[in-house]
Amino acid sequence: MSTRVLDVSGLPTSAADSRALLWWGNIGMLAIEGAMFAMLFGTWLYLKTANLDWPPQSAQLPPLLWPSIGLGLLLISGVLMYAFADRGAMKDDVVAIRIGHVLCSLIAIAFLIIRWKNIAELGFKWSDHAYGSVVWTSIGMHTLHVLTATGEVLVLLAYESLRPVAKKQLLDIRCTAVYWYFVAVTWIPFYLLIYVAPYYVRKG
Amino acid sequence: MTDYAIDERELDATWSPGRGIIGWLSETGHKEIGMRYIVTAMCFFALAGIEAALIRLQLSRPDNTILGPDAYNQIFTMHGTTMMFLFAVPVMEGMGIYLVPLMVGTRNVAFPRLNAFGYYMYLFGGIFIYTMFALGAGADAGWFAYVPLSGPMFAPGKRVDTWANMITFTEVSALVVAVEISVTAFKQRAPGMSLNRIPLFVWAMIVTSFMILFAMPAVMLDTGFLALDRLVATQFFNQSEGGDALLYQHLFWFFGHPEVYIIFIPALGFISAIITTFTGRKPFGYPVMVSSLVFTGFMAFGLWVHHMFATGLPQLGQSFFTAASMMITIPTGVQIFCWIASISLGRLVIRTPVLYVIGFFAVFIIGGLSGVMVASVPLDFQLHDTFFVVAHLHYVLIGGALFPLFGAFHYWFPKWTGRMYSERMGQWAFWLLLIGFNLTFFPMHILGLNGMPRRIYTYGPHMGWTTLNQVASGGAVFIVLSVVCMLANFAISRRRGALAGSNPWNADSLEWATSSPPPSYNFLHLPVVAGPNPIWDAEPDPPVVVGMATGHREVLITKTLDAEVDHREEIPGHSLGPFYLAIAATIALWGAIFFAWWFTIGLCLSGIVLIFWFWPAREQVEVDMLREREEATP
Repeated sequence: MSTRVLDVSGLPTSAADSRALLWWGNIGMLAIEGAMFAMLFGTWLYLKTANLDWPPQSAQLPPLLWPSIGLGLLLISGVLMYAFADRGAMKDDVVAIRIGHVLCSLIAIAFLIIRWKNIAELGFKWSDHAYGSVVWTSIGMHTLHVLTATGEVLVLLAYESLRPVAKKQLLDIRCTAVYWYFVAVTWIPFYLLIYVAPYYVRKG
Repeated sequence: MTDYAIDERELDATWSPGRGIIGWLSETGHKEIGMRYIVTAMCFFALAGIEAALIRLQLSRPDNTILGPDAYNQIFTMHGTTMMFLFAVPVMEGMGIYLVPLMVGTRNVAFPRLNAFGYYMYLFGGIFIYTMFALGAGADAGWFAYVPLSGPMFAPGKRVDTWANMITFTEVSALVVAVEISVTAFKQRAPGMSLNRIPLFVWAMIVTSFMILFAMPAVMLDTGFLALDRLVATQFFNQSEGGDALLYQHLFWFFGHPEVYIIFIPALGFISAIITTFTGRKPFGYPVMVSSLVFTGFMAFGLWVHHMFATGLPQLGQSFFTAASMMITIPTGVQIFCWIASISLGRLVIRTPVLYVIGFFAVFIIGGLSGVMVASVPLDFQLHDTFFVVAHLHYVLIGGALFPLFGAFHYWFPKWTGRMYSERMGQWAFWLLLIGFNLTFFPMHILGLNGMPRRIYTYGPHMGWTTLNQVASGGAVFIVLSVVCMLANFAISRRRGALAGSNPWNADSLEWATSSPPPSYNFLHLPVVAGPNPIWDAEPDPPVVVGMATGHREVLITKTLDAEVDHREEIPGHSLGPFYLAIAATIALWGAIFFAWWFTIGLCLSGIVLIFWFWPAREQVEVDMLREREEATP
């Protein structure tokens, strides 16, 4: 036993911000997911260079209205997640957190209904051609992420309503918010690729 | 003084593994999980070794009929797949999981339950592919399963489906380990261990982890596309519907080339640790060594097309990738020169680990030279798909990873078991391996130059390949003897070896500052670090950390750059959650090859398991709230 010591008993036992382990674990997961989405995006671009007819003439050009409304809702939910839940967690304000989670889960459910409609209106299947495969896979992957994020928020909402919220849970709430931003922002490039780009890149 | 005394028994009770089968399945300690990775990986190494022996037996004479073409395809595919995905990467991860927390001076990895989950995913992936193999559905399209050969048109049945989904198991496992290790190394270092004092092995694991984060998603996506093409009729790789077969190769090698470095860079870390210890001086050129590791990590992502020279890509692209392939030899060369400088400036003590390092120099440099040869496009056209490539890749992987790994096993054996291995048996095993390896693989260079293609199950007597193949097959016997000798040495020494004490090599890094084997909590008092070689740089009566909780699993979080203390954090303990989650994921991935909806069912089950896993127990919340109130009122 040394005579000189570094006493850490006075240090705090939690941190609900970028100093915490979970925060970094979450960022690590987003790096993985981001790499996956980037390569999916690259797959679309790669297949475009390998095809003269892209998107294929047999695929109808996508309607723009509802997908755009969907993207708008997703981005608004990101802002609300920040304004209520994330900032609420920073200030330890459980009421604001609950409001944020209720609003975001309602918007997410509306978004998922619109997403269902978007998929039904695509007019081609994943098995029709490689274009169909990459579009369906992109939408499917992102929908899976929206479902996961919504599930997470609903579980948190149930928890906040039933149990006291400790500092540890504030960290969970903030990490879920970061995940939510990721899911919302990731859709921007895919929206441009799937709904806007076909109008410009199709030849003839 | 007595104020700082620690209740050792309470600390041990807090960190000890649980009892019985439930305790085993819910274990989350990094030493236990790391050792499970290593032992499991060695079991798969043995299986892949048996497969290799069968390959050599089949090729030992012309027109041999021990294995038919179909069995041969399965055997060489299983050999490659097992060695790459079920041995090489997991064993390096196991070493990292065991050693990184000890080397940085903390009590466990950052996400212990995730760690356990990663292990079960790896284990179940291996069980999955070997069960299917035993049932006659062994993967048979090579370890990289190129389309269209592996596509729905030419590979009906479940063989390639099994292979594709097994990849997902192992990559999930690798990804969670990568996140844990990088967070552990960045946030849980002992106070004083600033970035420029991190041991080189830990740096190597950090670089490896970052490479895993960006390389593994490519192969998951790729094998995901392959599985989708085969199971639900997507058209990613179907040329006639706008798909592209080369897309598969691009995505595969965007992972596959970094993969080689994911295996090789931890080995560089082993070598640095061994050379530092056995020369008894601080590593020569530490900043250059670290930048070389980082540079290698980046460059490794810019080489993948050199696996695809024979696919007819544009000339300019080929030149670029040739240049990049030559450039990556620079950082490795820099490291080798630094080690040579360390050796010549220090006093090298020759022990078994050092022999393996010297073996690495010899074998890996030969592999590097044949690598420079195949990196040039005209030569590659000639040598592509011949035994020359087989020789090259074994020189690089066995020389670059297996030799350092076996050296590392010997080096850390006293730490793991508390006992010394037999030096005589260790040296016997080394020489048997060095001779056997060169006998087996050197003739393959010449066979390749003589035109023998890889992956053929037999050849005619008139081809003139017989003698060299027999030499190669004879060499394999020595390799088997070497591995048996090494394992026997470990098995005997584990019980009967001389007691090692905490630091038998007079080494510099923190894992040697605690007893052998380390206690469940690693360090009674977390150390405070005063230099890049903590044990050697410590002043007499070095300071230690006090004031950590002993009644629950608490780790100290320090700042990323300079490792100043920041806060304390409770990390999770035992749980069956990881095991159940891995079962749910197995239902999804194993089931999906028979019926696509199993995937959805498995995902839903995973969601349910995750909710139970994360829902905090009522008592836990009360404890947390109480602790917060105490903190708020000092």
